[in-house]
Amino acid sequence: MTLAPGSRTYPAGPGARPSLRAAFRGSWVWYSFLLPPLLLILTFVGYPTYLAFEQSFFTETPTGDVFAGTYHFQRLLGSGLFWGALGNTVLLGVAFLVIVIPLATIFASMLNRIRKGSTPLKVIYFLPQLTSSVAIAIMFNYIFQPDWGLLNGSLRAVGIEQVPLWLADPRLSFGGSRAAVTILAVWSGLGYFIIVTLAGLQSIPTDLYDAAAIDGATPLESWFYITLPSLRPTFIFLIMTGTIDALSRFADLWTLGGPGGSPARSLQSVVMFMFQQGFENSDFSLAAAAAVVFFVIVLAVTGIAFWGFLRREFLAIR
Amino acid sequence: MTAEASESIDVAPAAKKRFQLPTDWRSQLGMGVALLIGAVIMLAPFLWMVATSLSRKANVSLPRTPSFWPPDPSFFNYFIATANLPIFKLYVNSLVVVGLTTFGYLFFSSIAGYAFAKGRFPGKSALFILFLATLFIPFETRMIPLYLFMGKLDLTNTYWALILPFLAGGFGTFLMRQTISTIPDELIEAARIDGASEFRIFIQIVLPLCKPTLATLAILNVIWRWNDVLWPLLVTTDRNLFTVTQGLAMAGRSQGVYTGVALATTVMAILPVILAYLFLQRYVIRSVVSSGVKG
Repeated sequence: MTLAPGSRTYPAGPGARPSLRAAFRGSWVWYSFLLPPLLLILTFVGYPTYLAFEQSFFTETPTGDVFAGTYHFQRLLGSGLFWGALGNTVLLGVAFLVIVIPLATIFASMLNRIRKGSTPLKVIYFLPQLTSSVAIAIMFNYIFQPDWGLLNGSLRAVGIEQVPLWLADPRLSFGGSRAAVTILAVWSGLGYFIIVTLAGLQSIPTDLYDAAAIDGATPLESWFYITLPSLRPTFIFLIMTGTIDALSRFADLWTLGGPGGSPARSLQSVVMFMFQQGFENSDFSLAAAAAVVFFVIVLAVTGIAFWGFLRREFLAIR
Repeated sequence: MTAEASESIDVAPAAKKRFQLPTDWRSQLGMGVALLIGAVIMLAPFLWMVATSLSRKANVSLPRTPSFWPPDPSFFNYFIATANLPIFKLYVNSLVVVGLTTFGYLFFSSIAGYAFAKGRFPGKSALFILFLATLFIPFETRMIPLYLFMGKLDLTNTYWALILPFLAGGFGTFLMRQTISTIPDELIEAARIDGASEFRIFIQIVLPLCKPTLATLAILNVIWRWNDVLWPLLVTTDRNLFTVTQGLAMAGRSQGVYTGVALATTVMAILPVILAYLFLQRYVIRSVVSSGVKG
């Protein structure tokens, strides 16, 4: 291509060219910079996304694709398996966030106030975040082993003899498989939530606390009336990213329960449902319909959080 | 008694001056203990895993009371694990895939970021919005069509399938555009007047000024790609192309009954990442905080 970036090395030769053409030629440099990443994005992001939407409205037949209208969506929304997977995903996500955010706030507050040792503690808390979900899932598969696993062994050591079955129990209970994977998620996600909350805490101006202290507020009072309200943007951010991560949960549940999310589909997430329908059952249209619904849900979550965030936070600044 | 009491009264003020405890030492101690208990809970699974992986007996039976020291320390499980799984081959695969995607992602993100930050050309904002729009498309939405598309291109079971979809993205482009925008125009203008091409300006002036952001992006990309398992599960079924994480996932599901061997495999799979993290922890944590993106 003559538009190679190097051509810019020889600017406007002898005999001035029309300025419009010079400007046009200047643009080509930038277009040539953008072309490779643009092509990659169109090919590997845009085109497959388009295909997902298209596939959800068509049925594949040996003679070509046949328009199916909303048939696949009706199939999807009439499928108990899909609702089960969506229900699991939402339940696990809500349980995770309800536990991890208060826990992270308490730990971050303590890390923020402690005088010594906060750096090594941060490094330790953050460690699971660097470990792949697959490795964590394999590790916890044995930790949750009812007879000799680390967790039940520790419970027995402190005198609890009626130990739960954890991953072997598909029922919805505090000692069942869903509780187990929530413990796993909190253990592995806590570090990230702590680090982000800590950054939020450190951005609170200290004169707010000084003023409160002069007014005679106890440390606990200033935590309730200054710290928590100031962390609002942090919480919104964590809830938003945490919800999206929870919706796309896959690797740890797949490692523990296979694509079907055993025991008894109690651990099947939406992404695992798509994986199973598309990859194992080759029901690409149903997988595509699920992918479209998934896309709409994620977009709605992002939109709601973003809109709520913009409305309060940005109006406050103005 | 009285002598002792009077003595302690005399000594007390001097002692107080020498070992001065913080006035809030009670709350400091309480918080320290709570945080230490938390740290023990975070570390215990790792330590238990290492101890169990070093015990040959763990494949048959484990004590009902968990032990953090193997009763029969040996590397037996590690030999079996390396015999079952070509772990060093998997390391090479992961290094190739993670290395190339990271290099490509940094290059394409920064060159596009440069164009969006400093370029003047028609359609700039429309193109930028197009790049940003990819941020709102979750990978899971397009994974099945992308897998079918890779099949049509005849790229499944190649390194390309693991690399190509992750070379360019909205997040990196956005981050690089933000960083490059802060570089003063005068610097770039001066180079232009000296006759440097835009590409040379990009390589010799812009990139060196973006080192911290490039490091952030590299760290995040390495974490994402190293730990990804969903996409490799779809496009690679050839054992010789497995990444570490995928190999671990497959092994974890097949050798599950042999606790010691499975945990030895897991230890080998995560050890390099953990060691790298311990050396780079400051940068890793800073990257995650500054970008607001989870590792």
